[in-house]
Amino acid sequence: MDAVTYPESKVVSFIEENFIPLRLGFDSKPYSDTFNVKWTPTIITLSPEAQEHHRTVGFLGPEELIPSLLLGLGKYAFENDRFAEALARFEQLGAGYGISDSAPEAVFLSGVCRYKQSHDPKPLKEAYEKLSVAFPDSEWTKRAYPYCLL
Amino acid sequence: MAAKIQWRTEMDDALCLGQKAGKPILLDFFNPG
Repeated sequence: MDAVTYPESKVVSFIEENFIPLRLGFDSKPYSDTFNVKWTPTIITLSPEAQEHHRTVGFLGPEELIPSLLLGLGKYAFENDRFAEALARFEQLGAGYGISDSAPEAVFLSGVCRYKQSHDPKPLKEAYEKLSVAFPDSEWTKRAYPYCLL
Repeated sequence: MAAKIQWRTEMDDALCLGQKAGKPILLDFFNPG
């Protein structure tokens, strides 16, 4: 991460704009125990109240770190019931990083956000249809499968 | 000189800054070698 990803200028600006960056050693007590860290890098999106919203383990290049962080920002908003803000993050991910590994989960959660906003199940079915075309082998397509029956 | 990420190194400091700025924390557990 230090050699490839973190020096990238767009990564620096994205992180500085959207996060308070905090780095701790993998054996930094008590936090390595609190967050059950077993391998590095473990990258966590944490609320200012210290609640975890998103986690990845292992190396991510710049083209995967930024969409993963967008997913984390979206999940931070989603899990605090700020669905419009979450949706904006997931759409930003789709627009800029639509073929990244984080994109299928963002499509899934976009459907859920729209359902939460409208209580109309149609967005759930649309999310499945989009996933089945764009990411037919994704676990998120499988998780969304029941929505095709709506 | 290229910009660098300004990593914080104390949890309490980062949480306090996050509350003030209304931003989440990017917590990276790394291997300092």
